[in-house]
Amino acid sequence: MSSAELDGQFAELFAPLSGEERAPSSVKARLYSALIHEQQETGPLASLDASVEAGRELCVFEKLVQIAPIGEQAKSPFFCQVCHARVLAEHFDNPPLYWPHCPYVKFNES
Amino acid sequence: MAGKIPIHVAEAAEVVSDERQLVASVLSKERKATAEFVDRCADWVYPFLRHRLVRTPEVVEDTLQEILLASWQALPSYRGDSNLQSWILGIARHKVDDYYRRRIREEHINEEEDSAPEPAIAPMLEQRLDSAAQQERVRKTLSCLPETYALVLIWRYRDEKSVRDMAQLSGKTEKAMERLLARARANFRRRWNDVER
Repeated sequence: MSSAELDGQFAELFAPLSGEERAPSSVKARLYSALIHEQQETGPLASLDASVEAGRELCVFEKLVQIAPIGEQAKSPFFCQVCHARVLAEHFDNPPLYWPHCPYVKFNES
Repeated sequence: MAGKIPIHVAEAAEVVSDERQLVASVLSKERKATAEFVDRCADWVYPFLRHRLVRTPEVVEDTLQEILLASWQALPSYRGDSNLQSWILGIARHKVDDYYRRRIREEHINEEEDSAPEPAIAPMLEQRLDSAAQQERVRKTLSCLPETYALVLIWRYRDEKSVRDMAQLSGKTEKAMERLLARARANFRRRWNDVER
């Protein structure tokens, strides 16, 4: 059998499928936490007010922080760091989380 | 009719504008935009890596994280000339090539080793498989091979890299690369029937 024929057979066998495979939600959750930490290395995140101004919805906990009578700077930390939703989402692919507008819940829905 | 923009062109322009806006928001460290960025990128890159890195899921996730962080760092240079998906997959391709290069470079190859002519694959396909089942069997077979063998097969036949390029990138001679490929194909053939037993 010629080298070209052999190559042709293997190429046919290895042709990738064009199927729709998605990343597991727990992987997305861990990646999101890692990227947010990386962003925080170079300074604070945009405040929650900036998210609202950009037309983004906040989860119930973020909303509480956003309406609290505190300075802009106090609204910049990554509050999800201390949320149970983050911990569950990073460890399970179908966590029992139902908070609307929580990014960790959205990873599970998408 | 003159001056009317075709629908597909208008849609493409909308996608580009949407992606530029997303990139700008991620660069301003807007957390919700960052979540959307991760959501999209992970779905683009994860299947790409799953078809190319055959080791443990940890290798796929570590490489995915490396690609995402590299993309974030390179994001200020994104001009929107290509769509975001192609741009991110370009970064992923470089990272995967780096990984292959590192692993294959470490492999010792005896160029003088004799080998019998290779038989065709066809006889080992004792049944016709639908394409999904075949892909799953290819994946399982690859995961049973020594990693270097799996990587050279994927590099050559899935990414359609020439033997010359593979040799150059991994610091081997073309003859050595041919030898490595021949051994990888022989190993693959032997394992092909084992994986379903």
